[in-house]
Amino acid sequence: MRLWRNTSLEKNRMNSELAIFAARLREFIGFCGDETLAGLPPAELRQHFDTEFNALALVLFGLQYRNNLPYRKLCAARGVCPDDLTHWTQIPAVPTAAFKELELTSLAPTARTAIFHSSGTTEQKPSRHFHHVDSLATYEAALWSWFSQNCGMRNAECGVAILTPPPAQAPRSSLVHMFAVVGQKLGAPETAFLGRVAPDSVWELDFDATLRALKPLSDAGRPMLVLGTAFSFVHLLDFLAEKNVRFVLPPGSRVMETGGYKNRSRSLPKVELHALIMKFLGVSAENIICEYGMSELSSQAYEIRNSEFGIRNFQFPPWARVQIISPETSREVAAGKTGLIRVFDLANVYSVMAVQTEDLGVRRGEGFELIGRTVAAEPRGCSLMTR
Amino acid sequence: MNLPNYFYADLPPEAELTPTMLTGACQAIKRNREKHLAPRTTADLINLLGELGANWRHADFPFRKFALEQGPAATGFSRATLERGLDTFFRELTATNLEMLVAQELGHAQRLDKLSAPRAEEAVGRAALARGPELIAHIAAGNLPNPTLMSLALGLLARSAQFVKCARGTSFLPRLFAHSIYDADKKIGGCLEIAEWRGGHATLETALFAEADCVTATGSDETLADIRSRLPVTKRFLGYGHQLSFAFVASDAFAGGRLSQTVACAAADVTAWDQHGCLSPHVIYVETGGNVTPEKFAELLATELAAWELREPRAPLPAAEAAAIASRRGIYEVRAAHDPDATRHWCSEGSTAWTVVFEADARFQVSCLNRFIYVKPVKDLTQALQQAEVVRGKVSTVGLAAPEVKAGQLATQLARWGVTRVCPLGRMQSPPLTWRHDGRPALGDLVTWTDVEA
Repeated sequence: MRLWRNTSLEKNRMNSELAIFAARLREFIGFCGDETLAGLPPAELRQHFDTEFNALALVLFGLQYRNNLPYRKLCAARGVCPDDLTHWTQIPAVPTAAFKELELTSLAPTARTAIFHSSGTTEQKPSRHFHHVDSLATYEAALWSWFSQNCGMRNAECGVAILTPPPAQAPRSSLVHMFAVVGQKLGAPETAFLGRVAPDSVWELDFDATLRALKPLSDAGRPMLVLGTAFSFVHLLDFLAEKNVRFVLPPGSRVMETGGYKNRSRSLPKVELHALIMKFLGVSAENIICEYGMSELSSQAYEIRNSEFGIRNFQFPPWARVQIISPETSREVAAGKTGLIRVFDLANVYSVMAVQTEDLGVRRGEGFELIGRTVAAEPRGCSLMTR
Repeated sequence: MNLPNYFYADLPPEAELTPTMLTGACQAIKRNREKHLAPRTTADLINLLGELGANWRHADFPFRKFALEQGPAATGFSRATLERGLDTFFRELTATNLEMLVAQELGHAQRLDKLSAPRAEEAVGRAALARGPELIAHIAAGNLPNPTLMSLALGLLARSAQFVKCARGTSFLPRLFAHSIYDADKKIGGCLEIAEWRGGHATLETALFAEADCVTATGSDETLADIRSRLPVTKRFLGYGHQLSFAFVASDAFAGGRLSQTVACAAADVTAWDQHGCLSPHVIYVETGGNVTPEKFAELLATELAAWELREPRAPLPAAEAAAIASRRGIYEVRAAHDPDATRHWCSEGSTAWTVVFEADARFQVSCLNRFIYVKPVKDLTQALQQAEVVRGKVSTVGLAAPEVKAGQLATQLARWGVTRVCPLGRMQSPPLTWRHDGRPALGDLVTWTDVEA
């Protein structure tokens, strides 16, 4: 009994350290979103963020190393321990695939109140990202702050149309959770989830509901925010093309698309998708925002277009960093070279901050360009497998 | 060496082919075939091909020199990989082997020349003449040159005009081989055409298929199904779908000091053509109970692959392929850190040049190739075949390391299970000329017979 008490106390102590960290991070996130920062010289601001990020990352690594046993094992196998590190780039990254096989969390099983799964085919094990109240609060603070800064929408003066199923139907989707949070934070008078989960657990769009929702919203003249996955937009645009229906969303409306196709619809090159969105929803290129995110992360990157500077490539918020890693040498590649995207996300407080994705990207200035996913990285066979 | 602009594949990449051009080319090579190739004897053509085979193995043969000098840039393979790969093909291209092939598949050396019959047939008053197609269209997959070179040789034996359609960027070696044929015999070279375009170009392919009376294709099942659906039933279609291969090392394969030799043979198979193509192993099953554990075998194989990399480096990879290796390595690193008894891995340092993964889980695993090999322990061949059940019917070659007394029985078991080729470990990517490709008679499938009864 005594042993049990000690373990439990120890776990509580550690989790409270993480909670303290999470609270501190949320303050930092709030600080980063402060509009008055825009007045500071960019170089000075960047240096401030860099210093702060490094300090926070090293602290968080120490906490995760102590609290997250599967992660510690991996660090040990690589011969890395927190005392040796001076810079966040030295922190060992965990491949996204490890989220499928290991419980990469500092949360005790009883403390986990939510779990997000990666999407994928049913034969594959999904990635699992465990959450509880405090980690969700951090996730929500992170997603909202960066979303509102990139999307430029902060208040209730818009209608929100979401092309995914509602949270009740997709409780394991971090994306749906994010969309719900965005709708809530905007305090939008009308937030409509226009998708549903079909009996075969495929996400589909409720076309009638979509027409019913888009029409009065666009007639009302209030700006609209339309959020969805790339494949949900393809479903919608194909439907609108078939019915020969075109909307012209009111001025100030925005469209945000995210994610790949995962064989859920025909896949379109991004330019083509955006051209169709412009044609059928009547929004300009500057009002289409691309998101890059995944269930293994708590922060997102956005790509935006601006009439002044053209495309601004994907950028994560100041509490996350990206490295483009050479698959050959495992070191960072030179600017302009293709490599694997590695993300250091401080908002992943209770899981693992350093995540090695299977996505290919190229560094472009402060941001990165998304090239695509590594084909069949996961060992699970190929089309030759007969079952 | 300056190659003349003789084939479409010699034109600069921006040159656009049109259906009319293709139709014209097909009709021209068919006319040339009628005049110059159809009248030739089998012995004559065997002689030509045998001499070409010998020339290609000669260090000073200009086409070989050109292939080795320009090949690394054109194909991505290192010079040493190309040299070994081309030698394994041209070593087989001899007059003796070609005679053996004709006898094996057609029953008599002169079947293509005149009505003829082996003795047993003659005794019952029968004779037969085999005729090749007028024009064969080859749709080449392009990952490796050898199957295309072999197709060209077979087509010549069958006295067919041949149009080889290569995938984008893969015509270099087929083109050089065709040039070497042209150089040896201009009239026969005039019966060949080599071109490149991205697969699925319907208008070009329709023009080609309209002229050809036989179409061979290598590629995925989807590609083959697509091509077949576009051909009238009267056209002969020979499809070679994607296959894969594995190796089996018996527990007593190492006896009598054969350990290092067995490991070297395994490395030869993993490195040949950088593991591309259907004949390269994805998995090496090692039988437990021998004096070397499967895990130790994996470790020794890693050392051998490292040495191999120094003398025959793997091709540099595009980012996506290197990323596939890096990502997969990441997964095994995680598994190894958590259960080192079940998973171990060895990787080339600072590169993706080679990877060995030892996994106690014996389920068949498709490799991401480019010298990425799985070593898995099994208690016997029966267990290996159970574990490979998922790819049954798709297995081309099994490289076998076993003492002679046991090999015959293992090979029979593999044959009954459905493997179409069993060869000694170390020779997986070097099939003999007489190999029945995917279990089919390669020359025999091209011809049409006329049987004559007395």
